[in-house]
Amino acid sequence: MADNVFQDVKSTESSQLRLGFLTAIHVDRRGYVAGLLVTNRYGRPLEFQCTTPVKPNRTQELLYGPTLVPFILGELIGHTLVDKIGVKPHLILTDRNEMLELRNHISIPVACLNATRATPHTEQPSCNPSTPPIDLQNESLSTTEVSLGRRVFRIHSAHATDLGVLRHNAAAISPDADLQEPLQRVVNALNETMSVKLGAV
Amino acid sequence: MNDTVMVTAPGLQIARPPCRSIPIKLTTATFASGMNGSLQRISSFDCRRTKLLEQAACVPSWKPHYPKVQTFGLTFPDGVEFLPENSDDKECSDLPRSMNGPQASASGARSKRCFDQPPQKKFTRLKPPDDALSLQDLLFYVLQPPLESLLSGQELVMPFEPFGFQYEGIGWLFSRKSALLADEMGLGKTMQAITALRLLLRSGQVQKTLLVCPKPLIPNWQRELKLWAEELPCVTIEGDAARRRMLWTMPTAAILIANYELMVRDFESFDADDLPTFDLVILDEAQRIKNRESLTAQTCRSIPRKRSWMLTGTPIENRPEEIASLFEFIEIVPPRGTPDLQQLKRLSNTHVLRRTKDLVLTDLPPRLDRDEYLDLAPAQIYAYQVAEKQGIIHLNEMGDSITIQHVFELVLRLKQIANFDPLTGESAKFDRLRTDLEEIVASGSKAILFSQWTRCLDWLNERLKPFRPLVYHGRVPTKKRELILKRFQEDPGSHLLLMSYGVGAVGLNLQCAGYVFLFDRWWNPAVEDQAINRAHRIGQKNPVIVTKFISKNTIEERIDDILREKRDLFAKVLGDGLHSNASLGLNASESFGLFDLKAQQATETRNVGPDQSVVQNVDTID
Repeated sequence: MADNVFQDVKSTESSQLRLGFLTAIHVDRRGYVAGLLVTNRYGRPLEFQCTTPVKPNRTQELLYGPTLVPFILGELIGHTLVDKIGVKPHLILTDRNEMLELRNHISIPVACLNATRATPHTEQPSCNPSTPPIDLQNESLSTTEVSLGRRVFRIHSAHATDLGVLRHNAAAISPDADLQEPLQRVVNALNETMSVKLGAV
Repeated sequence: MNDTVMVTAPGLQIARPPCRSIPIKLTTATFASGMNGSLQRISSFDCRRTKLLEQAACVPSWKPHYPKVQTFGLTFPDGVEFLPENSDDKECSDLPRSMNGPQASASGARSKRCFDQPPQKKFTRLKPPDDALSLQDLLFYVLQPPLESLLSGQELVMPFEPFGFQYEGIGWLFSRKSALLADEMGLGKTMQAITALRLLLRSGQVQKTLLVCPKPLIPNWQRELKLWAEELPCVTIEGDAARRRMLWTMPTAAILIANYELMVRDFESFDADDLPTFDLVILDEAQRIKNRESLTAQTCRSIPRKRSWMLTGTPIENRPEEIASLFEFIEIVPPRGTPDLQQLKRLSNTHVLRRTKDLVLTDLPPRLDRDEYLDLAPAQIYAYQVAEKQGIIHLNEMGDSITIQHVFELVLRLKQIANFDPLTGESAKFDRLRTDLEEIVASGSKAILFSQWTRCLDWLNERLKPFRPLVYHGRVPTKKRELILKRFQEDPGSHLLLMSYGVGAVGLNLQCAGYVFLFDRWWNPAVEDQAINRAHRIGQKNPVIVTKFISKNTIEERIDDILREKRDLFAKVLGDGLHSNASLGLNASESFGLFDLKAQQATETRNVGPDQSVVQNVDTID
């Protein structure tokens, strides 16, 4: 399955590249709410989908244990969003490790922002374009990491072939691009959504 | 008694009761009772089955189940591509310049390289308009990339790096259906409108736009559109009636440019049901519709449109009712609505964006104003006194038949004499001007001179031949005007441009000039400021020295005094701190007061002319 995806994405012209930005927030007493923003290669939005809040009950918390959040964010919410989105992304980028679980349920490569490889100016807004790029010349990437723009992303260890897809597309993304900025947009949109009191499930 | 025992119950702890130890000494002994033999017998045990507990109850089986996750979606309009990628940017075309910071361009030349420029220090998020009601509307704006990213030379190449306040203005316009951009002259209203329009077109929210401006500004708009949005197809409404009708109804042009007069004339020829429709209508120098009863204002309001923007540096020239007319066009005031001052201020807070140079352009070179109070030359004094005396006598003799027009004619006559004596040509202003020009030319600088009268400009042109002046006023054919401006800007030997307020005061960029002379004063300082800001605007590298000639003990001095007292209306409507360059013109009562006109009637003295409720402005008359 992964090989087919690789072929699909590889055959995509860089001008047609679509990126999915997936993240979630936790809202007190309401649970998790997530959003998926699909943009063109310039970051211009094409489609956005978000969920209503999902709140596990006590039994679920006890029985799922540490697998609960990956289940909710990856399998439950992430999978639903990918199903619902009309404009399918070629890559999905997230800033939550738990969402890497999504990769086990879809055929699209998923990569997670490696926060530990952020720039030294972490106190600044992460999407601030003034943040200098990482000097990757002097950085060594692990076998599951790839540099996209000026950020480092990590793939699911069970899907090593995704690395090839990401590397192929890395060449089509500007070294100055800050791929964390669209994730901040999604967070802002989720906060906006919650502020208008979208009904909980 | 064990004092370590603690009484507990499931889920409950009870405090240990107080215990006291009592020493008891007991002794034991075996007594001969006859029972001691039984102690030697072996005990017998018997086993028996018995139920210890009830059977353990099974917990009902639990199966993981979550309700179906509900989703909410938003699809963005398709963007519009007008031109293929620029071949000049080939070196970057293989790599998307996505999500970059803006590319600064120090020289102002179009950026060729994509990645080697310093990143922008801040970014501007698009904010939803205050009247956005639906969640989709809110999310549409929240999910847009920062403006700096949109305009950083990825999809939309920008020839110059906008200022921060310009980004703010672009974002503000982009998100509004009804907007009045009232930045002070010289802050780049044109560029902000073009860029916001460009974003709307590229994001698919707008397809057809009408831009209406005064006729002399059409070349300026054409030039600015080419500079800031070269990919946008724009068509100017011109030619004979049949051609113009074809242009109005042409479906392919993204931007139509029309002047007010042609627009009014052409719309009269359309049936009400056949009026061309637009996604966006922009009125430049929108004070042109300040009179809501005028045909121009009525025609503008009749244009079928989805968005309405207006650009003007002087949304109020004379009285608050003017801005109400402007608000009626952007449909935030109902037809013939008469909002009071508080309501106007509230509407302004939402729908008007006004910034002044003092607030936003801290790095713009200063404007140095010099009010030159000059004594008239002897021949001028004689001519002036005779004209004034005869004029006032004449006005007083007219009694009740006097009108503002009669006063106005006298004012004009006196102002002309204050410029130069028509008989001898003596002129204190000219003498001073010639002295200043010698210094300006010697230093290689350039100057612009404004006058109210083309006759005065021609008179100056004759006498200033050694300085090779250029003349730009309403009698100069339109086709020649662009050449005159180009020559003034590019020819190092051209040092002086003589302009009329009427033609040269708005919309032109003449940053090459470091000196501005106001040879005579306009009725309204707002117009004077417009004129001065041809030179004192973005792009100006040096301080601009503004010289206003005011003849002592003349009508000029009296008008100046009155206008100085009327600079607070902007503050009342548009907020504090925004009135430094705005003022009101003279109304009719004040015009009469210039000459302290009184009429004798029997034993009582009364003022001649309209009462204070009459607010007929001299500008209107002119």
